[in-house]
Amino acid sequence: MDRALTGIPASPGIVVGPVHLLRWEVPDVPTHIIPDDAIPAELERYRAAVERAKERLAGVRDRAAAQAGPEEAAIFDVQISMLEDRDLANQVESYIRQNLAAEKAFDVVLHEWRARFAHHASPMMRERVGDLTDIHIRLLSILIGLPDHDPVDVPKGTKAILVTHDLTPSLTVQLDRDAIAGIATDAGTRTAHVAILARSLGLPAVVGLRDATLRLAGGENAVLDGSTGTLVVNPTDAEVAVFQHRAEREERDEAELRLLATAEPVTTDGERIVLRANVDLPEESPQAATSGAEGVGLMRTEFLVVGRTTMPDEEEQYRAYRRVVEAFNGRPVVIRTFDIGGDKLPAGGFPHEANPFLGWRAIRMCLDESDLFKVQLRALLRAGLHGDVRIMLPLVVTIDEVRSARQLLDEAAAELEERNVPFQRNLPLGVMIETPAAAMCADVFAKEVAFFSIGTNDLVQYTLAVDRGNVNLAARFTPLHPAVLRLVKHTVDVGRAAGLEVAVCGEMASQPVMVFALIGLGVRQLSVAPRAVPLVKHIIRGISAELAVEAATAAIASDNAAGAERQLAGRLRAAFGDASFLGDGLLVS
Amino acid sequence: MVERSVHVSNRNGLHARPAAEIVKAAARFRSDITIVRDDLEVNGKSIMGVMMLAAEYGSELLLRADGSDEEDAVSAIAKLIESKFGES
Repeated sequence: MDRALTGIPASPGIVVGPVHLLRWEVPDVPTHIIPDDAIPAELERYRAAVERAKERLAGVRDRAAAQAGPEEAAIFDVQISMLEDRDLANQVESYIRQNLAAEKAFDVVLHEWRARFAHHASPMMRERVGDLTDIHIRLLSILIGLPDHDPVDVPKGTKAILVTHDLTPSLTVQLDRDAIAGIATDAGTRTAHVAILARSLGLPAVVGLRDATLRLAGGENAVLDGSTGTLVVNPTDAEVAVFQHRAEREERDEAELRLLATAEPVTTDGERIVLRANVDLPEESPQAATSGAEGVGLMRTEFLVVGRTTMPDEEEQYRAYRRVVEAFNGRPVVIRTFDIGGDKLPAGGFPHEANPFLGWRAIRMCLDESDLFKVQLRALLRAGLHGDVRIMLPLVVTIDEVRSARQLLDEAAAELEERNVPFQRNLPLGVMIETPAAAMCADVFAKEVAFFSIGTNDLVQYTLAVDRGNVNLAARFTPLHPAVLRLVKHTVDVGRAAGLEVAVCGEMASQPVMVFALIGLGVRQLSVAPRAVPLVKHIIRGISAELAVEAATAAIASDNAAGAERQLAGRLRAAFGDASFLGDGLLVS
Repeated sequence: MVERSVHVSNRNGLHARPAAEIVKAAARFRSDITIVRDDLEVNGKSIMGVMMLAAEYGSELLLRADGSDEEDAVSAIAKLIESKFGES
């Protein structure tokens, strides 16, 4: 076996530790017919497996409660109740009495139940499919004798590398950072949410390894290098030494960059750039505030919801937003309303739509579920009392969505007034420009909104018709396609002419070549992961806006992404020489 | 047989956790317990069934119990639903 597996670098950092292999997939179950006289023993075997699964779940629940809190742990109580369900047991036992082995009987019944839930009209039901899948896997693992190790079982201090097919929300809830030091997945791309989550937790991660779970047995010693996207199995002492050396160097470089936290992000020819941080979880705000960011350019609120069994209520949301706002002490905090749907769903469910990214998600879902949306709007209005809160709507394609949202915002304010709850009036309302429709109609939006924020990931996905989660399409997912650059330029030009602030808040705003391109296209506000703030500041301080304009003008006139990249990279190298940060993962391939 | 109708009064409706609580309460009684919403009848002792009701905020349910402790069963479950399960 080739000991070095190569995937996609998703979150930087190097870690050496044992592999914790988690195969969380429904196993194949062959049909096995049992003789009549074996039926009583088979019924017993099934019942014992259910008891065993319930014990395991109770243990997982207690540990998840201690680590993540009772709200997050409630999901496991629901799974216990599902296993106790008499209707379910009667169906399984009836199949066993018809001579099916226990695992096949359970498998058949669970497939039926999952299909019924998945096709149910109520989203409340569809959200539960994830739980059924979890008990399906858990019980089959026990019946077939597969190892069932939950990530929550990894003892504290192990510093294991979690290797799994994909990190589902119900697995994410169990992540204990004292036990898991790195994440490696078969699926996913740089912009998949496991990658974003890993970056926000500061855990090194490699995604898109394709078949790592099949090639590993678990327990091997390994090195995970999230900066280059490699997982080296059973490394030699010499290899470990090389990685440790690299890790030390990375730390040194980072320490140097951190010294820039107090420096001003200004180009060599005096263009002042506003640099803000992206925040996913309220817990990250202190780190973001000390990174040198001038506020939050994007708070993604859906992470308050993912992996939960219920929506957070107004009070809980208010506390979460307030925490971020207060950490930034009066500096702007742009909070994006729920971008649920696509690959981010509450409570571990998954969408039953042929095209979830073109489906019922983000502002579309929020406007249809106005009660749910108004809870968030009320919490935002209340948080507005504690600083400079700005509300941002995701995935708009028509001005009608802005008008409807504004009406709901007025209703939310009236409801607070009626309850005599204090709140901030007239919070600025802006939109994400992340669809070609919004970019082309930027002039229409400019008349009615306070700011634009360009979301590069979705803009690339929708402009190029490339699914950003598809490993096979990773090379085609490029923000340097001239079509994307032109849409960005159009949005910036229209926004600036109308006197609006235009920011870019996608993951790509943190790549050196993109920083250069965006400044050349006229962008003066960037929002990036807290960890990337010092590097982006360093880039800004090393280039002139004049050179950036020249490079971006040449890039936008290129035939294709490769041509645009050459125009930008050549000039960027001229500005920085062969600086090490330009070496790894600089260019968007 | 005893019947009584109740309104779901917690905002999140009978999602997974309240469904689990109803089933747990129902299991304490000997009577058969049925919950009806519109034309859907489910076993009140089955979490899958109760979840299948997809009873959101404001929906009306009919509780039906049949057995030696039918009176207590209906009133215990009605009380639980009316208590909003500790939610708002």
